[in-house]
Amino acid sequence: MSQPVLRRILLVTDPAGVHARTAVAIAELARRHGATITLSKGGQQAAATDVLQIMSLAVCEGETLEVEVSGNHAAEVLETLAQFLAGKLDEETKPSA
Amino acid sequence: MKFADFICRQAILPQLHATDKEGTIREMVQALCKAGKIEKSQYESIVQAILKREELGSTGIGRGVAIPHTKHPSVDQLIGAVAVSRQGVDFASLDGEAVYLFFLLISPPDRPGDHLRALENISRQLHVDTFCRFLKQAKTVEDIQVLLDEADNNQFGS
Repeated sequence: MSQPVLRRILLVTDPAGVHARTAVAIAELARRHGATITLSKGGQQAAATDVLQIMSLAVCEGETLEVEVSGNHAAEVLETLAQFLAGKLDEETKPSA
Repeated sequence: MKFADFICRQAILPQLHATDKEGTIREMVQALCKAGKIEKSQYESIVQAILKREELGSTGIGRGVAIPHTKHPSVDQLIGAVAVSRQGVDFASLDGEAVYLFFLLISPPDRPGDHLRALENISRQLHVDTFCRFLKQAKTVEDIQVLLDEADNNQFGS
């Protein structure tokens, strides 16, 4: 059976934008859940397991990201990702945020 | 944003002496201090701010690269330093590997966009294997400056 694929457009509300710590948190989230996450901004795509690719998107506060998540925990991953983009990192990324 | 917009030429260190994380940060901040980009009175405060940021999670993002950084009210524009380590530094990186290339950034607290654009530039260029390899092999300030200039001119095809 194919794995569920969820797509959503998420608004970045963290005043600092998608900075290095957020990028690391997203990459660790993808690895932890074995999820395939693709982030897109303005036609440019980033694989969420690659911190450099995520930071290459240079996403500022108020901008949106198109997010596609596949894997058995896709809904949970998407929800956590939305929290990260709102700047809520600590509860999910300890101890290695 | 280009490297020329934020990397201080006088703070390019082709042969980092430090062998640990704190030493690396101190050596790079000291270089910015010597270059007159930050006040000597702010040296310790900036070092501590960067170390505190590292406590939240290493900026050693893998591939032998680290981007230690902080916001600090003593600077009114984004400034950066570059260092290359010959022996590699244990920076508690995500992939557990030693770090050879360092980009240290200090930005004003009210300019998150500049910081993101600098991260974007560094990330985009470091994604190019050739740029990374050449940078690791660079032996002089001039070598590194030429590579940064070539990257700014899109000569690595990033």
